[in-house]
Amino acid sequence: MAGESVGESNRSNAFVVSARKRTLQKVAKIAGESVLFSVAAFVALIVLFIFYFVTRDAVPFFQLRGFSEFFTSSNWYPADEPGEFGALAIIYGSLMVTLGSAIIAVPMGVAAAICLSDILPFSVRQYAKPVIEMLAAIPSVAFGFFALVILAPLMQNSGGPMLMWAWWILVSPFLLLAVIVGCDLLTASIKEEKRRHQLYVLLMILFGLIAVVLLFKVGSVLNGIQILTGTNALNVSIILSFMALPTIVSVSEDALQAVGRDIREGSYALGATRAETIIKTILPAASSGILAAVILGVMRALGETMVVWMASGNSSHIPEPWFNYLEAIRTLTATIAGDMGEADQVTGSARFHVLFAMGLLLLIISFISNLVSERIVVRQRKILSGQ
Amino acid sequence: MNIGTRKILDRSFTAVGIGSIVVMALALMIIVVPIVSNGIGAILFTGTIEHRKMLRNEFQRGNVQNLASEVASSERYRARLYEMLTTFEGELETMAPEKKREYMSQYSQVKTALQALLGPLPGDTTPMLTRFKYGQTRWEKAEEKLHELLYESKWDNSNADIMGKEYFVSRAKAFEGTALAPIFPYIKTNLREMLLPEFTLYWGFITDSSVDSHFFGGIWPEIKGTFFLAIGAMLFAFPLGVVAAIYFTEYAKPGFLNSMLRSANSTLAGVPSIVFGMFGLAFFINTLRVSESKSVIAGSLTLAIMILPTIIRSAEEAILAVPKMYREASLGLGSTKWNTIATVIIPAALPGILTGGVISLGRAAGETAPIIFTAAVSVGSAIGLADVFSSPTPALSWNIYNLASEHEAAAQIRHVQYGMVLALVTIVLLLNLSAIVLRARISKKLKG
Repeated sequence: MAGESVGESNRSNAFVVSARKRTLQKVAKIAGESVLFSVAAFVALIVLFIFYFVTRDAVPFFQLRGFSEFFTSSNWYPADEPGEFGALAIIYGSLMVTLGSAIIAVPMGVAAAICLSDILPFSVRQYAKPVIEMLAAIPSVAFGFFALVILAPLMQNSGGPMLMWAWWILVSPFLLLAVIVGCDLLTASIKEEKRRHQLYVLLMILFGLIAVVLLFKVGSVLNGIQILTGTNALNVSIILSFMALPTIVSVSEDALQAVGRDIREGSYALGATRAETIIKTILPAASSGILAAVILGVMRALGETMVVWMASGNSSHIPEPWFNYLEAIRTLTATIAGDMGEADQVTGSARFHVLFAMGLLLLIISFISNLVSERIVVRQRKILSGQ
Repeated sequence: MNIGTRKILDRSFTAVGIGSIVVMALALMIIVVPIVSNGIGAILFTGTIEHRKMLRNEFQRGNVQNLASEVASSERYRARLYEMLTTFEGELETMAPEKKREYMSQYSQVKTALQALLGPLPGDTTPMLTRFKYGQTRWEKAEEKLHELLYESKWDNSNADIMGKEYFVSRAKAFEGTALAPIFPYIKTNLREMLLPEFTLYWGFITDSSVDSHFFGGIWPEIKGTFFLAIGAMLFAFPLGVVAAIYFTEYAKPGFLNSMLRSANSTLAGVPSIVFGMFGLAFFINTLRVSESKSVIAGSLTLAIMILPTIIRSAEEAILAVPKMYREASLGLGSTKWNTIATVIIPAALPGILTGGVISLGRAAGETAPIIFTAAVSVGSAIGLADVFSSPTPALSWNIYNLASEHEAAAQIRHVQYGMVLALVTIVLLLNLSAIVLRARISKKLKG
């Protein structure tokens, strides 16, 4: 009896709907959906607000001082009366550490991503991924502390030997490989087996000697370098590259995974080795996705504040010569973080607004590169799904 | 190319890939290991009697009788030292003026080093700053100070081409023949008796507030501030993020508007953290005036905006990972769309959504740049829940920066900095570890 009546009432709710109830339901549905939509639209609103408020406080600076000084002069004396606000050296410093970290992080990140997606078996991958996630999780201020308290003194006291060892460890395997491949390529055209072998050995000895001399000459030059300050662009670049790595690895791994099995299998069937398959077929197919990964990773390095603030030396000048990574530099983010406290009290002055101009510059760069990487990813997905 | 070379190339390609992963793991170790090993030193160390005196006077902790007997025994050894000082001062009076002047400056250096080592000497006025009221509280620091006392450090600048080299000159030599000479060997042999080092487990480092800008005491105000900021950010961002994710996955129709919203989301994810800080200052504090100046609420709101895209994205992924048949079964039983979402999909996706939330919580706790202008102060006491709307707070991430780069005696309080970094890294990595474990369990469950 009881069960029947429950069934009855359920049925009346579900199927026999009065006109009034139906409109109520419709109104509720529209109201609910619009609430959901407005919450989702809130994100877009925040983005607009960020642009508006940063621009609002940046515009007075350009009204006061114009554009040319900011972008062309490298005299940064905001505290003087009247101040000078040339940010060229600061912009250059930002670009320098970004480029430096990209040089370290991009080859390593792409190699690691390839390794994760194509080389390592699943059981090993399970342990490799958390390592990368942990690296991504460490707070930036901890990286900065490491750079300032551990890496900087190390560089200052034994920078030369460190550079030498890094050169030997990093370059010698590649040089050896280059010698082997070079000899092989040069002798490949000779048909006669015995003569080719003789020439191969001869070239091997010659190139090997050249390589060893090169290794030791450059190594001893590096060993003689005295690093005057441990808080320099190289220090920051190394640390930033490890902060950018997780992004590069995970996004380019996704891109590599998106390339289908059929392409890989086709290449293997034609007799290519794994390295040839990856370099000649998979990487070109995933290249745009990897580019997007690089852009996102590099943006992390450009926007990073704490590491550069703590360990870049904060000296606003263009290094001498321009590629000298062993000098202290200053970046946009560190300038904003460092100067806001002092500029805060005099809201309305050029000193306060110049920092917002820098923020706006960062915001625009990050906005454009985000948009570009997003377009790239969308296009790649379309191309790959079209195949 | 012959087969051999191709094989070598293939192998070395694999080696490069594995090598770069190994380098990343090594980098993680190189960064984490010194932080952990030095950070533990903030809690576990060889503390001297000065540490126990400090605990007694500043925190009213420790056994009074034990301390009194220890002080008495250490004073016995110190008394002889002070006696020697008085003798030397008497001798100084009888010296010729220029000789006196020569010894005077050296002697004042010795006295400063002694004060740093053992605390105020008898006859000194009570210092204003707490840091000068006690000698060295840690044995390894005491040994450093002992070296400073025994040797004068000088810089060799004779070669202008290279940086000056530091070298040490024994002070005992400088005072040879005076009454002060015997104190150097005396201190060297009796320092242990004067400072009574013993193994100390100082949990107070976590639960005490700091004394005299982190010279002594612990980091409780920072931990509490970080906790408030991160939880506050989650309170704002988590509900918003989950609702937005529901909209994106269940209701959004493909089209211009939707792609605009998605672009906005990824733009927000890419905004540099310092720009969030500027925005927080310009919007929450200068325009909305949520508080007079910096406050926890302004910092939390800024952090909330920063972590919002991450929460949305992970919640979306979790919702999309719910098997289709759950939804179809629920709809097939006649429940409405909203009912299906609320009773079937969200519960099934909840662990995944929580995983994203936990990772974002870690990010909010570790981020520094957004709170510099909106919430963080370097010195302050632990705030209560009632102060959240009006007062700024010290926070772990900000104070690590502040103590390491701006503190007037940064090199002297390295152990506090390491302790703070360890606390922050532990919080963040534990949160992430729990997220990783949670996710592994979910993927097992979904696989069946």
